[in-house]
Amino acid sequence: MKTAARRKSYGVKGAPYALPSPTTTLKRARSAPYFFLVPATILFALFFALPIGYAVWLSFHKVKVSGLGLGAGARKEVWAGLENYTAAITDSELLDSALRVLGYGCIVVPVMLGLALLFALMLDAEKVRLAPFARLAIFLPYAIPGVVAALLWGFLYLPDVSPFYFVLDKLGLPQPDLLDGGPLYLALSNIAIWGGTGFNMIVIYTSLQAIPAEVYEAAKLDGATPLQIALKIKIPMVAPSLVLTFFFSIIATLQVFSEPTTLKPLTNSVSTTWSPLMKVYRDAFGTGDIYAAAAQAVIIAFVTLLLSFGFLRATNRRNKQEAAG
Amino acid sequence: MSSLAVQKVPSAAGATGAAQNRPPLRSRIALVPTITLLLGAVYCLLPVAWVVIASTKSGRELFSTFTFLPGTGFADNISDLNAYRDGVYWKWMSNSAFYAGLGALLSTCVSAFSGYALATYRFRGRETIFNVLLAGVLMPPIILAVPQYLLLAKADLTDSYWSVLLPQVLSPYGVYLSRIYAAAAVPGDVVEAGRMDGASEWRIFTRIALPMMVPGLVTVFLFQFVAVWNNFLLPYIMLSDDEKFPITLGLHTLLEQGANTPALYTLVITGAFLAVIPLVALFLVIQRFWSLDLLSGAVKS
Amino acid sequence: MPNAKRRRLSRVTATVVAVTLGGTALAACGSSDEDSEAQSGPVSLTYWTWTPGMDKVVDLWNKGPGKKDQITVTVKKQASGDTLVTKILTAHKAGKAPDLVQAEYQALPTLVSNDALADIAKNVGDAKSKFADGVWQQTTLGTDAVYAVPQDIGPMMFYYREDLFKKYGLTVPATWEQFAQTARALKKKAPDLDLTTFSANDSGLFAGLAQQAGAKWWTTSGDKWQVGINDAATKKVAEFWGGLVKEGAIDNQPMYTPAWNKALNTGKQIAWVSAVWAPGTLTTAAPDTEGKWAMAPLPQWSQSDNVTGSWGGSSTAVTTDSKHKEAAAKFAAWLNTDGDALNALAKEGGIYPASSSAQLSGAFTAPPAFFSNQPDFYNEAADIAKTTAPSAWGPNVNVAYTTFKDAFGAAAKNKSDFTVALDEMQADTVADMKKQGFEVSE
Repeated sequence: MKTAARRKSYGVKGAPYALPSPTTTLKRARSAPYFFLVPATILFALFFALPIGYAVWLSFHKVKVSGLGLGAGARKEVWAGLENYTAAITDSELLDSALRVLGYGCIVVPVMLGLALLFALMLDAEKVRLAPFARLAIFLPYAIPGVVAALLWGFLYLPDVSPFYFVLDKLGLPQPDLLDGGPLYLALSNIAIWGGTGFNMIVIYTSLQAIPAEVYEAAKLDGATPLQIALKIKIPMVAPSLVLTFFFSIIATLQVFSEPTTLKPLTNSVSTTWSPLMKVYRDAFGTGDIYAAAAQAVIIAFVTLLLSFGFLRATNRRNKQEAAG
Repeated sequence: MSSLAVQKVPSAAGATGAAQNRPPLRSRIALVPTITLLLGAVYCLLPVAWVVIASTKSGRELFSTFTFLPGTGFADNISDLNAYRDGVYWKWMSNSAFYAGLGALLSTCVSAFSGYALATYRFRGRETIFNVLLAGVLMPPIILAVPQYLLLAKADLTDSYWSVLLPQVLSPYGVYLSRIYAAAAVPGDVVEAGRMDGASEWRIFTRIALPMMVPGLVTVFLFQFVAVWNNFLLPYIMLSDDEKFPITLGLHTLLEQGANTPALYTLVITGAFLAVIPLVALFLVIQRFWSLDLLSGAVKS
Repeated sequence: MPNAKRRRLSRVTATVVAVTLGGTALAACGSSDEDSEAQSGPVSLTYWTWTPGMDKVVDLWNKGPGKKDQITVTVKKQASGDTLVTKILTAHKAGKAPDLVQAEYQALPTLVSNDALADIAKNVGDAKSKFADGVWQQTTLGTDAVYAVPQDIGPMMFYYREDLFKKYGLTVPATWEQFAQTARALKKKAPDLDLTTFSANDSGLFAGLAQQAGAKWWTTSGDKWQVGINDAATKKVAEFWGGLVKEGAIDNQPMYTPAWNKALNTGKQIAWVSAVWAPGTLTTAAPDTEGKWAMAPLPQWSQSDNVTGSWGGSSTAVTTDSKHKEAAAKFAAWLNTDGDALNALAKEGGIYPASSSAQLSGAFTAPPAFFSNQPDFYNEAADIAKTTAPSAWGPNVNVAYTTFKDAFGAAAKNKSDFTVALDEMQADTVADMKKQGFEVSE
């Protein structure tokens, strides 16, 4: 009884996450949400806000060495104003890396999310076999630790050891250099798609699971095909999850680091500044200029803010319009 | 890579499926979804298979035999790994389990509180709080590691279990995910009915909302578990005592032993392979909670 | 235990409040200068090192001389690499660096310039006499101070496949000119094979080759640094390797990849310009070639020369954060000069000692197992080590090294002019030093 009542009531929501506000809001309910948010707020202040503040502080400073710079007191932290920022903006390396990442993102985001949605819908399809196996298999790459990644992809991408080149060779097919030029983008995208599809698939799949079966029943009785049900009912209902996966995929793309870092030792084609974040890492951990790195990170964060939150806003607005109209 | 997969699987599935009793089979199995999923599985498993196969190779075989040819050194690799510095690998493994297990549990709780509050209440500053929490992901973690270190150093907590655990409890991703799941799974009228019955807000959350959110929360738990399990940079900066290292960091020390000592490739690969097993086990346990019906005892018609 | 944890946790909260109130006070934390030196009573020291088996060597100290002096050392094993310097500097910024650190020679100026390393000149006794001058000089940075005690060195040598050299009628090159001819001769006889590769992923190799040619990348005169990365000697080296890559006489792919390992193992590459530690690397990279390699001195720039460079090698340093610098220095000196310690280091850690006398001691009477065909391996190695050219490191080697990887990586890939890449390296290094405020004259 209770279950049925509950099930009927959800699933028909227009806004991506907002619920209709309770009509009889009690006084205690006013303060309740703040209590629920206390742990997150404290943790945010400690481990995000403070470190971010410090990083921003760093971005306005630089080190000043006197003389040979040896011994105590030869090195001082001084105010740098916007120096680090102007240096970062005029740095062609940073701009080049941003352009590379843009190209990379144009491959990764649509393919990865397209596959994730496809797989999630297939997992949710009726009478599908081996779904638990496929679910685990597609998720598994996400669980492979990064420490073996360079070895792993070295063995699969380098012509002398790759089984795929072996097969191409045996078949007498051309053997493209995967680690240079255009194919390099495919090689990098492949790593990201391989590693990230399962993750996004699970997000969408879990949302699909929350849709009660009754919702489809009517459509089925009307003779809708599984494809129509997927397009007309399922996809709109998991829209919030799709927005979320998009949002985080944009961020992950702009902050791409591990894929090119993985291929770096294998080829001369990937420089230490291939992606913007690699440059940040190089400056912070390689060449020891954390001040410049912080300024670059702030710029990356700002661009990410524009793109990702811009996207969120746009989808929110559209949703509101749809809800209104 | 995918071309290989494309050739292999449909024919295999087709041989058993399409050839003989087509009509009954088609009605029992949805072919298109099944084949699509199998293709995806093959694509994803091929590189994973490399890790499994390479872990069976001895050091001698690793660079000399065909990449996908199994070797003969699995038992030796395991015993070498076991013997390395008196079994410190297992210490790393239990450290990782501790960081990831407790970290993901705390993270899931925090995400559940926040996601529930953001989804079911209307209050001043809701979107602002949500956006600020989300904005935490804008600053690349790479640049935050050093400030986080300096901060924890002030509290004298560096090189402790806390230093790896605490910064990873709040996950903006988890909060966002929980909000979506709470919005989809916890109907407003049920919350309202609870209030009518005079239940406290806390009670409504724990007794009514939380069970409904379980499928989403296990996903949050899974993601956060794997994220902590695979995190490298934070523990790298925070920890200096290799008895406290998680697996990622421990295996890294096997790769980077200085110019005098070559990388212990076989140990690293075997170690990475073994490290995947707990994650598979976790996944298998967790996937049982993805279906709401299982929990509510109903059957999906 | 739980109580202690709770106390620590409440401390975080307290500190956080303090930090928040203090605003950017976080940034102001530097190292404290107060020195509670030479107290009596037991002392315990922490030591960051990546050398395998170091805990066993340290046990010798803790049970022997350390026990007598009540100085206990605890090993905290680290991963080696450039990022370890950042980790040490980050810890130092918080005043939490360990008492002792292992540091590669080229990292010492960076660490000293950040005031992370203590001057232990007064505490290391007569350690200087145990090392060749060129080695010792790296730990003083040309000053009166001593910032570290040398641990291991990596004199460079030429490794080649004896059997394949015979098969293709090649002779071991004594000069670089002959080296180039050998590479060409091999290409003619076996176009699929390469003598070796020019790898842009390890800057240390190129630095060592430049050092052999007489390059002095960083020198000081008065209060000024002079940067000579694109000096004539280095240009010569860059032109030489760039020419070989361009004409296709050698390969241009990076080292240490699975493909490189396979090339060595299958005899697709038949020589390797490397250092004394090469046998260990070959053991894992090319296990099937055991007993087929031989080692010879590095080719020379002119027939009459007899000089080599170094690739790798590290030292033990005491940090300014240490509360027990004297005790730490005592341990560092013992570790790298005591006969038993060095024997254990060679046996457990596989290091090639910097201490001259240890280079011919017990552990080095037999050749490495992989080179059983060359019984006098370590005698020759010791002779070669004596010919190591002095090296000249500066405070931003990391910048030069990073630019090397990018500039030479691109040049090797495009088979373009290596000297252009070298100029880039010089320009980046000088620009970085100027930016930091160092006095530089080019």
